[in-house]
Amino acid sequence: MMGWGSGAVRDEEKLSSSQARQVVRRSLRMLRPYRRQVTVALVVLVVYTLAMLAGPLMVRLGIDRGLQAHDALVLNLAVVGYLVAAAVAVVLGRTQITLITRVGESFLRDLRVRVFDHLQAMGMTFFDSQPAGRLVSRMTSDVDALQTLVQQGLVMFIQNALLFVATIVVLVVLSPVLAAVCLAAMPVVVVASIRFRRDSNVAYLTVRDRVGQTLSTLQESLSGIRVVQAFAREESQNEVFVSHNRAQLDANLRAVRISARYFPVIELAGIGTMAIIVGVGGVLVHDSFITVGTVAAFALYLTNLFEPIQQLSQLFNTVQQAGAALKKLFDLLDVPSDLTERPGAVDLPETGELLVEDVGFAYDGRAQVLADVNLAVRPGERLALVGPTGAGKSTLAKLMARMYDPGEGRIGYGGVDLRDATFSSLRHRIVVVPQEGFLFDGTIFENVAIGRRGADEEAVRRALRLIGVEERFQALPQGLATAVRERGSRLSAGERQLVSLARAALADPAVLVLDEATSSLDPGTEADVERAMAGLMQGRTVVVIAHRLSTAERADRVAVVDHGELVEEGTHDQLLADRGRYAALFASWAGEQQRRHPSDLAEDAVVSS
Amino acid sequence: MSARRERPSRAGWQLLARAVKDQRNWVVLGVTAGLFWTGAKVAVPTLAQLAIDRGIISRDHGALLEWSLAILGVGIVSAVCTGLRRFYAFGISYRAETDLRDRLFAHLQRLHFAFHDHAQTGQLMARAATDLLQVQSFLTLIPITIGNALTVSAVVVILFVTNPGLAALALAALPLINVVAKRFASNIHPVSLELQQQLAEVAGTVEETVVGVRVVKGFGAEAIQGGKLRTRVDRVFERAVLLGRMRASFMPLLDFLPALGLVAVLWYGGHQVLSGHLSVGELVAFMTYILMLIAPLRMLGTIIAMAQRAVASATRIDEVLATHPAIVDRADGQTLPPGHGELRFEEVSFAYLPPEGGQLSDAGMPVLDRLDLHVRPGEAVALVGATGSGKSTVARLVPRFYEVLGGRITIDGADVQDLRLRELRRAVGIVFEDTFLFSDTIRNNISFADPDAPQETVEWAARRAGLHDFVADLPDGYETVVGEQGFALSGGQRQRVALARAILADPRILILDDATSSVDPTKEHEIRAALAAVMKGRTTIVIAHRPATVALADRVVLLDRGRIVAEGTHTELLATSERYRRLLAQSAREEAGSTTPQQDSEALVR
Repeated sequence: MMGWGSGAVRDEEKLSSSQARQVVRRSLRMLRPYRRQVTVALVVLVVYTLAMLAGPLMVRLGIDRGLQAHDALVLNLAVVGYLVAAAVAVVLGRTQITLITRVGESFLRDLRVRVFDHLQAMGMTFFDSQPAGRLVSRMTSDVDALQTLVQQGLVMFIQNALLFVATIVVLVVLSPVLAAVCLAAMPVVVVASIRFRRDSNVAYLTVRDRVGQTLSTLQESLSGIRVVQAFAREESQNEVFVSHNRAQLDANLRAVRISARYFPVIELAGIGTMAIIVGVGGVLVHDSFITVGTVAAFALYLTNLFEPIQQLSQLFNTVQQAGAALKKLFDLLDVPSDLTERPGAVDLPETGELLVEDVGFAYDGRAQVLADVNLAVRPGERLALVGPTGAGKSTLAKLMARMYDPGEGRIGYGGVDLRDATFSSLRHRIVVVPQEGFLFDGTIFENVAIGRRGADEEAVRRALRLIGVEERFQALPQGLATAVRERGSRLSAGERQLVSLARAALADPAVLVLDEATSSLDPGTEADVERAMAGLMQGRTVVVIAHRLSTAERADRVAVVDHGELVEEGTHDQLLADRGRYAALFASWAGEQQRRHPSDLAEDAVVSS
Repeated sequence: MSARRERPSRAGWQLLARAVKDQRNWVVLGVTAGLFWTGAKVAVPTLAQLAIDRGIISRDHGALLEWSLAILGVGIVSAVCTGLRRFYAFGISYRAETDLRDRLFAHLQRLHFAFHDHAQTGQLMARAATDLLQVQSFLTLIPITIGNALTVSAVVVILFVTNPGLAALALAALPLINVVAKRFASNIHPVSLELQQQLAEVAGTVEETVVGVRVVKGFGAEAIQGGKLRTRVDRVFERAVLLGRMRASFMPLLDFLPALGLVAVLWYGGHQVLSGHLSVGELVAFMTYILMLIAPLRMLGTIIAMAQRAVASATRIDEVLATHPAIVDRADGQTLPPGHGELRFEEVSFAYLPPEGGQLSDAGMPVLDRLDLHVRPGEAVALVGATGSGKSTVARLVPRFYEVLGGRITIDGADVQDLRLRELRRAVGIVFEDTFLFSDTIRNNISFADPDAPQETVEWAARRAGLHDFVADLPDGYETVVGEQGFALSGGQRQRVALARAILADPRILILDDATSSVDPTKEHEIRAALAAVMKGRTTIVIAHRPATVALADRVVLLDRGRIVAEGTHTELLATSERYRRLLAQSAREEAGSTTPQQDSEALVR
C-alpha cells in the first residue's frame, strides 16, 4: 500500500558509490561473528532458487517427453519432480527467512548496543554540541529504517534479485532466440521502473512534507484551541486547515497518477510478452527450433521476470534509506570520545583535599569561561560559589567532578589528578547533584538505585532514611515500587528533587557538588528539601553553587566568581567586612528581598507563620 | 476515547459506508474499470490456449498470428484498465480521507473547553493521522477487492466449464491460500504491535539517557543504563525473530499451495491429454489460470483483517465526531446591547463535571458557590485567592468557556447564555496564564482577532503593550516568525504579544488570567506599566498573586472556596484582612526561592 510517502529518500541522504562500498564493507565486518549462518543462508538461497526454477522445467519435460511422446511414465516422473521441487522450496524457504531474519536482527542488536555504549562513553563536550533529539533519532528512526528492511524487504530483495537473474539464464539456455525476443520488452520496463522510482520518490517527498504541514496545523490549533475560541476565530482556522488538507490531497493524487501511469506499462509488458512467447514461440515450434513444452515453460517463467522488477523498484527506496541510516550510525561510531580513562589510571584516595590549580577553561571553540582559578577545599569543609549569571561557577563545579577536563591547569583530589583517576573511583568519591531532580522511567526504588550499582533494597532504604524521606515515599500506594511515569510526572517537583538527593545519599560520596535550585517549590516541600540537604551534607565536603545568599551565609567559606575569575574568598562575615564584590551582591540581594515583600506587615506575617 | 470501545461497531461501519457513498461516482468508475480489467485479464489464458491448440499444435501460421495479436489487444485493454482502476481506487480513498479530516478538524474547533480539558492532544492527533490512514488504506481496497473477487469467480467458472474434474482437483488447495493469508494477517498483527511497543521502550531508554546524561555520568551509572538497554534490545530481538519465524512458516506456504494445484493439473490433466480428453493448450491455460488466482486470493485474505482495523479506527473517529459541542448559540441568540462593560455575577454556582464515562477525582466538587460580583463599567478588579479558590474559573465563565450550573452572568444587562457566542467572545478579551503564540509572524499573532487590521493598528496595539520598540529592533520587525519553530521570545515578550493581541481586539471587558506569573519577577515591573495603560478606563478582571500587580486594580476581591471573603482596596485589605496578608506573604515567600536577579544559564541539567 502507499503509505504517506514513508519510503521516500532525500537527495542529500543518498550515498555515493564509494560511501556505499564503505558501508557494505563495515557491515560485513560486523557480520563476521555470524559468518557461518550467513554461509548457510547463501547455500540455502541458491538451492531454493534452483527449486523454484525446477517447476516449469518439469512442466516442459512432462509436455514434451510425456504428452507429445505419449509416455505416461515420464509424465508421472515430471509430476513427482515438480512436487519434490515444491516441497524443497517450502522447507528451504522457511529456513531461509528464519536465518536471514535472525542474522539481520542479531546485527541490529549488536548495532544498537554498540551505538548506545559509544554514546555513553562520549564526554560532555559532545553532548553540548549535539541536539539531544538528533542523537535519539540515530537510535530510533535510523535503526528502525534498518529494522523495516530486515523485517520486510531483505529476504524478498535477495530472493527476487537472484530469481530474476537465474530465470534469464534458464531462458537463454532453453532457447536463446525466444529469450532474446522475450526480453525485448525488458528495456522499456527497466526504463519505466527507474523513472517511476525517481518520480514517485519526488512525489512522496512532497506528500511527506504536506502531511507534516497538515498535522502540525492540527497540532497547533489543538494546543491553541483556547485562544482560537476566545477570539472566535474558528472559521479562519478552518480555512487554513482546509487549504493544507487540500494541498495534501493534491500531492497524494499526483503520486497516484504517477503509479497509475507506471503499472499499465508493467501489465502491458507482461501480457505483450505472453503474446510474443506464444506467437514467436509458435513459429519456432513450427520450424522445430523448440518444443511446445519450452513455450509452456516460458509462459510459466513470465511471472519470475516482471514481478521481481516491480518489487525491486519498490524496495529500492527502502534499501537506499537503510544505507543512509547505516552511514549515519557508522559516522557516529567514528567520533572518538573526548573523555576517557587513561591506561594505568589509579583509584582516588578515600579522603583528601580538592585542589584547583591555575585552571582555565573554554567550551568547545567559544570564549574563555574560566581563567587562572586557584582554590582548595579541605575535607569536610562547606564552600559556597557565588557570582552573577555566566560568571563560570557552574562550569567550575562541573570541572571539579570531571564532567569536562580543564583546558589549562589541573584539578586534583587527595594529590591525584582527576585525569589520572579511574572513573569508578571518581564517580564514587565526587558526586554532582543537579538543580532539578531528573528522573528516569521506572520505580522510585530504581531511580534511587541509579546512585550505586548493585544497591539492594536495604541500601536504598538507608539512603532514604538518611535524608529523612523514607516514610514519605513508603506511604505511596505501591511504596518504593511506585512507578514515577514519564520523567517523574507522577511526583511533584519537590519530590523529584528528594529522589535525586536520595540517589546522592546512596552514592555516599566524600565530596558533594550541589547546584541549588532556582525555581521555587511549594512551601511544605521546600522545608523537606532543605532538611534532606542538611542530612545529605552531614560529614561531607560540600561545594554548593548558591543562588540564595542565605545559603552562602551558612557556608564555611564563600568564593566569589566573576567573569571567569575568582575575585574574592573568605567567610561571609569577612567578605561583608571587606565591602567588596560580595558585600555589593549581598546588599542588592537583601534589597531585592525587601522590595519583593509587599509590606512590613506581610513581612511580619512571614515571621509569624 | 481510549480503549473503551476497541471492538468494531456499527457506528464505524456507518462512517465508512457514508464515506464511500459520498464518492459514489468515483466508485462506479472504479468498479467499471475493474470489470473491464477482469474481463481482459481472464481472457488471456483462453486466448493463449487457442493460440497453442489452433496455431502451434495444428501448425497454422495464420491462426497463430491472429490469436497472438488478440492477446496483445487484450493486453492493451487490461493495461489501460489497471491504470484507471488504480487511479479511481486511490482517488476515492484520498478524497474520503480528506473530507473526513476536514470534518474532524472543524468539529474539534467547535468542541467545548471541557472536552479539550480531558482530551489528550496525542490521542486526537492519532485520530487524524493513523486512524484516517487505516480508513484510507481500507477504502482503497474496496474497488480493487471487487475486481479481485470478480476475477476469482470468473476464473473458477471458466475452469469448471472447461473441465469440471480437473477444476475441482486444481482448485482444491487454493481456498487454503485465503485461509493461510487471513491467519497470517491476524496472527502477525499483535506481534508487530508488540514489537512497536518494545521499540518505543528502547527509544525511551535512549532518550532519557541522552537527556539525563549529566546524571548518568555524575553517578557513573553507564553500566546500569547499559544493562537496561540490553534487556530491552533483547526483547526487541526476541519479538523480531518471532515475527521472522511467523513469516517463515507462512510465506513459503503461500507459494506451495498454488504449486500443489499446478502439480495436480500436470498429473491429472496430463493423463487426460494422453487419453485425448484435454488439449495441451487447455492444460497450459489451466496452469496460467491458477497462477492468476494467487494474488487476488492472498489479498482477499488480508482484507478481512484490514477491514477489522479500519472499522475500529472509524469507530474511534466517530466517537470524536459524535461528541456534541456543549456550548453553542441558542436558536434565538441575541446581539450584545450597547454599554461600557458592566459585568455581574448573580448567585453563580459552578463545578467541573467529569468527562462522560470517565472519572476525575476532584470533579463534581463545587468551585463557585452562589457567587455575587459586580464590576462597574471601566473598573479594574483584582481577584485574589489560594489555588482552588475559584478565581480562574470566574475568568473562564465570562466568555462562556463553561456553562454555569446555577445563577447567571450578565454583560451590560444581557445574560451571556443568550448572546451570540461570536459576539460575546469578541467583547471579552482574555490573556491566559500560558501564553500561546501561533507559529506565524508577530504581526499575524497580534492581529489574530482581526487579520485585516492595518499595520498602524497592529503597531498601536504593540505600543500599548510595550512591545513595539523591541519588535522594531528585530531584523525582520513585525514579520519575524515566532512560535515553536520560530524566534525564541522570552516569557515577558510572549506575554506582551498576547497582551497586544487582546488590545487589538479592543474588548469591552478584559481578563488577565494570571498573565504575569510566567514572567521573570525582575522583569515584571516592565510589563506592569503596559498593564496599567491597557486597563485604564476598561472593565478589567486581573487574576494575580504578585502584590505589585494586584495593587494596579481599583478594587481587590479575595476568594476562598468559591465565595468572596473580603473586598476593598489593596491598602484597606492589608490593614483589615489577616487572610489577605497571609496569602500575599506566602506568594512572596514562594518567589523568594528565585531571588537572585538571574537564572543561572549553565544549570547542571539542561
